[in-house]
Amino acid sequence: MPTIVCVDDDDETRAGTVEALESAGFEVRQRGSVGAVETVMDDSVGCVVTTATLPDGDGFDVVELVRDRYPDCPCIFFTSEAPADLPRGGRDQVVEYVPRTVPEAHERLVEVVMAAATEATQPAYPVPKDEAARVAALEAYDIDELATLDTFERLTALLTSHFDIDVAFVGLVDAHEERFVACEGANWRTLAREDSICTHTILTDEVMVVENVQEDPRFAGVDRLDQLDIRSYAGARISDDDGNVLGAVCCIHGEPRSYTQAERDDLRRFADEVEEQLALRRRLGTGGA
Amino acid sequence: MRHGTRYEFPDLPLNSVDAGTNVLLTGPTLGGTRELLLRLLLGEDGVVIITADTSARKVLSAFEAAGGRVDRERVRVVSCTQERDDDLGDFVVSVGSPGDLTGIGIEYSGQYEQVYARGYDTVRTGIYTLTPLLVYSEEIRPVFRFVNTVTSRIRTADGLGVCAIDPSAHDEQVVNSIAQPFDARVDVREVDGTVELRVTGLPDQPSEWTAVPALE
Repeated sequence: MPTIVCVDDDDETRAGTVEALESAGFEVRQRGSVGAVETVMDDSVGCVVTTATLPDGDGFDVVELVRDRYPDCPCIFFTSEAPADLPRGGRDQVVEYVPRTVPEAHERLVEVVMAAATEATQPAYPVPKDEAARVAALEAYDIDELATLDTFERLTALLTSHFDIDVAFVGLVDAHEERFVACEGANWRTLAREDSICTHTILTDEVMVVENVQEDPRFAGVDRLDQLDIRSYAGARISDDDGNVLGAVCCIHGEPRSYTQAERDDLRRFADEVEEQLALRRRLGTGGA
Repeated sequence: MRHGTRYEFPDLPLNSVDAGTNVLLTGPTLGGTRELLLRLLLGEDGVVIITADTSARKVLSAFEAAGGRVDRERVRVVSCTQERDDDLGDFVVSVGSPGDLTGIGIEYSGQYEQVYARGYDTVRTGIYTLTPLLVYSEEIRPVFRFVNTVTSRIRTADGLGVCAIDPSAHDEQVVNSIAQPFDARVDVREVDGTVELRVTGLPDQPSEWTAVPALE
């Protein structure tokens, strides 16, 4: 079970919340201020439960701090204040809220925390329906080892010359980020799922083309894409033999660009090649965990 | 937990659905979509309506016209229109703008818990419509976070979620992405004065265009 972080400056209230969460089987880390939250955040944290008002800020400061490093982390306000009396958060700081004033409030909180800790409840992107099986299937691959192999480097180099584009990559999409197994033309290692176009590519079995990223309502507001000079995109998803979607093979260009049907078919063939390589590596035990 | 609960839809050409089901209703703002959404909320369960297109006053009056009973213990509204609904009582709460997704989410959870605390452990949620939320947000990612959060609460609490969107107001890819956390999509259209629906994503439901006589 993931770890829960509980933030409340009232010792008695916090102790009650911690006890309820621990009784439900969670490991709980507790803190009493916004500033102290940073010291308890790591990859094992599955959810943050915070009160609304803290000595050095408010619950939305906690949310900002947490999501700055862990953008998918579910945040739950557990507080006696009514919605109208809560501090004002940013319009996009969507959180869950469980009032501490309702009967059986701890039971209500545990129910919401249980969902938040075991499934993707608050990500800022669409999640595939079979996400749990997909992520489990991805764990059969050692992404760090795959990244050392020449095979995928060669394929991405071929992609850039074949399509005459700036960047090509093979990316595997895990629970929280896309990790690049090979990347020609740029030095990208990871990208948060909420920033990654591949987050959408893995939802469709068609080759996904975004001719102009800045004119697509799904991506126009994503600063990270602008910073990386990603102006056009084409991606074909890659799956394992059981149909679990692992990631995508992608073409990036710094200018708007369209792709003909023949080019889309070619990209699909490159993706088929990557799928075969991944399946082979897994059977051989190189790159398979 | 409330094992075995199903939500039924009398007078509509739809079979019952499991507790925890979320449905995306796609149809034009005019053309029966709102009335169909309100009819999907009818029953003796708790009801929480998020209204972004029309004032709470008009939504409640349309809910009554559709056969609903506005029992303030059981029926709650979160209004995010510009119109003032404050004088209706505390069963209606107002959020200043459809772009304040944080405020809408918190008020919704608060209203859900108020209904739940009054003994209604089955709650039907209606969102009419997502379109202003998308239009007023500077970018789409917070809307995904909002939709994921709300549908997750409904799934966890064994509720029923019905969320409307006008597909003609958005890119098809946007609607497809927004549809992801929903179990099913109910398309609505009006042909020669007859409202029709079809369902994708759920078994035992009409997958071909089917007339809705109750809306004639």
